[in-house]
Amino acid sequence: MKTVYTYLSLISLLTLLACSDRDPQPIEDNTLFLRNKGADMPIWVKGDRQSNKIILYVHGGPGDCAMCYRYYLKGLEANAMVAYWDQRVAGASSGKVEESTLRYAQFSEDMGFVVKLLKKQYPGSEIYLLAHSFGVELSWQYLTSGTNQQEVAGLMVVNGMFSFANWLMSVHEWALSEAQRQGNTEAEKYLMDHPVTTENAATIEWEPIYRWMYKLGGNPVSLYDDGKYVINYAFNSPNTALAQFTHSKAYSYYGNVESRRFEKGPLLRDIRIPVALFWGVKDGIVPLAVGEATKQVLTNAPVTEVRFSESWHEPFITETAKFNQAVLNFVR
Amino acid sequence: MKNLTQLLLSLALMLAVMPEAQAQALRAGYYGETVTHYGLKVAYELPLRSYVKEKNGAQKTFLFAPGLAAYRHPHNHIGLVLSPELTYRRTSRRGRTFEVGLAPSYFRYFLEGTTYTPDGPDDFKQVRWAGGNAFLPTAFIGIGKDLSVRKNIPLAWYTRLNVMQQRPYNTSTLMRFSLEAGVTIPLQKQ
Repeated sequence: MKTVYTYLSLISLLTLLACSDRDPQPIEDNTLFLRNKGADMPIWVKGDRQSNKIILYVHGGPGDCAMCYRYYLKGLEANAMVAYWDQRVAGASSGKVEESTLRYAQFSEDMGFVVKLLKKQYPGSEIYLLAHSFGVELSWQYLTSGTNQQEVAGLMVVNGMFSFANWLMSVHEWALSEAQRQGNTEAEKYLMDHPVTTENAATIEWEPIYRWMYKLGGNPVSLYDDGKYVINYAFNSPNTALAQFTHSKAYSYYGNVESRRFEKGPLLRDIRIPVALFWGVKDGIVPLAVGEATKQVLTNAPVTEVRFSESWHEPFITETAKFNQAVLNFVR
Repeated sequence: MKNLTQLLLSLALMLAVMPEAQAQALRAGYYGETVTHYGLKVAYELPLRSYVKEKNGAQKTFLFAPGLAAYRHPHNHIGLVLSPELTYRRTSRRGRTFEVGLAPSYFRYFLEGTTYTPDGPDDFKQVRWAGGNAFLPTAFIGIGKDLSVRKNIPLAWYTRLNVMQQRPYNTSTLMRFSLEAGVTIPLQKQ
């Protein structure tokens, strides 16, 4: 019986290793770290160096991770380099970081250094931002500061916002519409009793609205439903497995104060670089209405749109092939 | 820091009064941070107190074991863990071992990648040996078998789960775990 247990243990260990995600053998495979104001932030660069194109993935959250999505994005690496950057405190970033640095301005400064470092490392390469959710806020913060937009060749927006008020109104509208469609009278009553306006968006209690959105199916997709993904993430990738769960409290100022003041609408008319709006149509977290409003305010930028009809908040998970093709079409 | 100093002083005191007759041992084995981040660990076991319980013949031993582990988390970091362990080990009449313990460990890690820091608004300088230091309090539990008890082979095997907390880590702390498996070889006859 003991022998059986021994073999079972060995088989379990081998299974863990066998579940590792297979690499497409990228031409470039470089690990860099940016040290800035207490944070050591990894930047993993992988893919085709000869393309002279770098897709800088700006992850969401705040506090999500970049490399953890390589599982879905690595299809890009055959035609471009992808730079997976973990923001300060997030993902596999380490160091001793002050909570007071978790501000849009600091994230934007970090991002500026990441872009400059990539340009130093890969002279002549064009950099495209591929920003998801919170990463979109961060990208607008960066691009609307100084002359930063001259540093990049384009921006791909994936289900992210430019204005807290616009976002909350859109979420409210989405949830109310779903409540009515699904006949959920409790949700409908709550949402009718708590309307969101431009005037009250910064002060209204937004969490209950957000919770209703989730209950009404705003994003049923969970990464952790895919066992192979989880095993690869925890045991066979450069991610720091348990780090995701260490820092949620650190973003309380962001959640309670800073994000609620976030408004880049008037500044977006100054954006002149190409912008792609990639949207999961079924998303309740950042509904399609936000994408439509983003297009309205980008009056001076060439804008392209790709909609993912079978996707919610992360179209790269649910429609991976179509998403990667849309990215490559944009950077080509 | 004060607590750590007190703990180290206590350890030193225990070592000073350690009975000389107890067998010392060398422990070596695989050290896998998050199981698969591979490495090695060696430790030197110094028994502090040992007695046999008359009721069931089980041997109970309190050990001090300074150890050093090194492991690699590819494309992330290389870690070194210096762990002064305090262990309670029970060895049954059949040689089966069960152990628990604590270690106020020191953790040093080196980032596995070239590290740059801004040097002015548009330039960077490389940081040599970039990484960090941290306190890594550790609790562990393990099982094994002492082959000298029944088969007269001077060897024991063990496997152990370590649960560690890295302090500081970013704005707070980080829970880590590791799996050890290896052998213990006595350095002198009991």
